[in-house]
Amino acid sequence: MTIRILLVDDHPIVRQGLKTLLEGRDGWEVIGEASDGAEAVEKAKDLHPDVMVLDVTMPKMNGLEACRVLRRQAPQLEILFVTQHDSPQMMREAIEAGARGYVVKSNAARDLLAAVEAVSQHRAFTALNGRDAAGLR
Amino acid sequence: MKLRILLADDHEIVRRGLRALLEKREGWEVCGEANDGREAVEKALQLKPDVVIVDIGMPNLNGLDTTRQLLQHDPQFKVIVLTITDSDQVIREALDAGARGFVLKSDAARDLVSAVEALQNKRMFFTPRVNDLVLAGFLEKGHALSRNEAPKLPTLTAREREITQLLAEGNSSKEVACLLNLSTKTVETHRSNIMRKLSFHSIRDLVVYAIKNNLIQIELPPSPPKAPAGPAVA
Repeated sequence: MTIRILLVDDHPIVRQGLKTLLEGRDGWEVIGEASDGAEAVEKAKDLHPDVMVLDVTMPKMNGLEACRVLRRQAPQLEILFVTQHDSPQMMREAIEAGARGYVVKSNAARDLLAAVEAVSQHRAFTALNGRDAAGLR
Repeated sequence: MKLRILLADDHEIVRRGLRALLEKREGWEVCGEANDGREAVEKALQLKPDVVIVDIGMPNLNGLDTTRQLLQHDPQFKVIVLTITDSDQVIREALDAGARGFVLKSDAARDLVSAVEALQNKRMFFTPRVNDLVLAGFLEKGHALSRNEAPKLPTLTAREREITQLLAEGNSSKEVACLLNLSTKTVETHRSNIMRKLSFHSIRDLVVYAIKNNLIQIELPPSPPKAPAGPAVA
């Protein structure tokens, strides 16, 4: 199955790590990268990705704000947060902002592929460190 | 002969990114990875890498104490510290710990290769901000120029700092004892000494101290937007 992914994180090294992981899957393609929420919103307009992998804490426009804008701008786009914040409150905010998935960065190597697969099929995937919170949604 | 690099960062995704960046260079090899400072020390002693890259904010043993321990074992270790902050205090501590390179994580894609090259050629590499501080006579003036310098507190030993970090991360004395291969009684003695030296009365004081002194790092939630989000797009 082909999945077109837009990666959004302000650290190029993190984007590189996510990219090597995602592009290991046949048919998955990272079609673009952005380093803040505003750039993510712009690139989503041009590139029409299936899934956006989005950080929370970023300059200019944070991920939550970007998610709210994108929810209105591109309702078909599925958004997966990959963030440092291992917190139920932050996860709830992310889901309320319109994300379909939430993965903690320290577990990204373990959870990311399953999460992208799930959200690309419009299924929720939410997991905190050591806690499966899939029932939140 | 290949240049062998050991990577220490608690985020596998960051290690993947760093590895991809470094291994693009012909003749460079990531010979090992570590998930925390303690593992980094063990692997460095075992693998004898040419360069060790350590994140500052790692669990169990932070990057600064990792650097100190590595150089205590072998002063020939060449260590690059990766950090998310270039505050005066962190820069000063990295220099004091003996790091020969200091790179901001946000600039790693641009600076890390240059930093490793510099160390390979027996030079040091610091972000421009560190160079500015050094030029300002920061080091020569006995570290007195930092305006945001924390109030002076008694110095903890390396072991006490290690135990402070583990306690501040939420480990009990028994768990600390297990992690460090010590008796619980020894850890309790260290704990009492730490609290007495710092005139602290609660674990809360210790956690605040650990955060202020970069023994542990915390991620703050994003600031709320200053203005309402932009206009809706259909």
